[in-house]
Amino acid sequence: MFNRKRVKVAVAEQPAPALAPLPSSQDEHAQQEELLRRWMSLAGMQQRVIKTLVAEIKQTSSFVETEADSLSGRFQRLAVCAEQQTARVESLSKLAIGIEVDGETVAIDKIAGLLEETLSDVVEKILLLSKDSMSMVYALSELNANVGRVDNCMVELNQINRTTNMLALNARIEAERAGTAGAAFRVVANEVRELSRTTGDLAIAMDTELKAVTEGIANGHATLQRVATIDMSQNLLAKDRLEVLMSSLISRSDNLTQVVADAIREAEVISADVDGMVTGIQFQDRTRQRLEHVVDTLHVVDQALEELKETTGTHLPATNGGPQMDVEWVKKLLDRFTLGELRARFVAQILEGVPMSGPEAELETSSVPSSSGSIELF
Amino acid sequence: MQMQIDRDNGRIAVSGEFTFTDHGPFKRMITEMFETKGKAIVIDLSRLEFIDSAGLGMLLLARDEAKKANRVLVLKNPGGQVKRMFGVTKFDKLFTVEE
Repeated sequence: MFNRKRVKVAVAEQPAPALAPLPSSQDEHAQQEELLRRWMSLAGMQQRVIKTLVAEIKQTSSFVETEADSLSGRFQRLAVCAEQQTARVESLSKLAIGIEVDGETVAIDKIAGLLEETLSDVVEKILLLSKDSMSMVYALSELNANVGRVDNCMVELNQINRTTNMLALNARIEAERAGTAGAAFRVVANEVRELSRTTGDLAIAMDTELKAVTEGIANGHATLQRVATIDMSQNLLAKDRLEVLMSSLISRSDNLTQVVADAIREAEVISADVDGMVTGIQFQDRTRQRLEHVVDTLHVVDQALEELKETTGTHLPATNGGPQMDVEWVKKLLDRFTLGELRARFVAQILEGVPMSGPEAELETSSVPSSSGSIELF
Repeated sequence: MQMQIDRDNGRIAVSGEFTFTDHGPFKRMITEMFETKGKAIVIDLSRLEFIDSAGLGMLLLARDEAKKANRVLVLKNPGGQVKRMFGVTKFDKLFTVEE
């Protein structure tokens, strides 16, 4: 935006135009009169030049003031924008550092640490669960083997019971064969048979219970198998992936923090520069004051010339038309002007005597930005 | 999972996939290895392609049993998925893992 075309406004270095020579045929008195008339003519032309210069200075001063005010306004807006930009960048830095939770900013690396801790705990629990599941599987397998052995014992017990029952039956047959002599033996045989029947009932009950235990163990084993065969390896490896992701997130956060820090520094530099420009643009006050002094001095010189011209005119014999301006010399002077617009005003005011317009009127036509063409480019 | 046992040197070489279904043979093999002489029982994992969480649990149980028997379980040359699993579960802090 500051990349405006650089313009070069300079007055060409040319030799000063020479005044018209005096006629050589006149006597000394006539020459002195001619010289005085020329002085008066020059004074009159000087007054016009002074008036034109005063108007030009006022117009330029007005133009500079208007432009400077405009620039100052723009720079002030720029300063406000720069401050807002700095504030935004600073808020961005908070976002880069961490995440806001319950009004408190938690740093990304702390989040990563917390996540790592949680995941490690989960992994530890998965391992413990796997280990305990396998331990239970081993224990149930062992218990199953024990139940199998008890079942074998039950088979042997039933065999013994059948043998006992057979013995009781044989004893009863022998007791019947012995008649009254075998009465006591019959009682013992009946008792043994009753004992065998009771043992048989107990064996049946134990067998039923043992089958229930075996079934329970089988169910437990199946359940444990389902638990133990759930493959947690992908869950475990998820920790690996999450750690990589968090590491990338931390790295990105660090980069972002660095970029934001750079942006803050640059924004501060821009703010400082803009503030400096706002201050620097106030030069127009000093310039206006200086130009007012110049204008005042020119007015004084103009008045002095007017007085001197009037006083001198009273001592010179009257001539037709009064003192004549050296028009050729003025034209040569104006030829030195490289700015067409300026030259046109000087021609109108010095040679053609067009009345000067006020600075306010000039300001209206000249207050447009210089890039619009008020400065003539070379 | 396939297992090759070198009783003389206290070494077991395993290959394939170590999962829940291997719990019976693995327990028998470990029990058998505890009956051998020497301090270390080395399990060569260089040809083991996959291990699941049940496999990790069985290794942990074997480690506990080894401690009780005053033996040391050494896991040798894990690679691929097995090595990654050991890394995630920090097995190098629980076992002697040799590369």
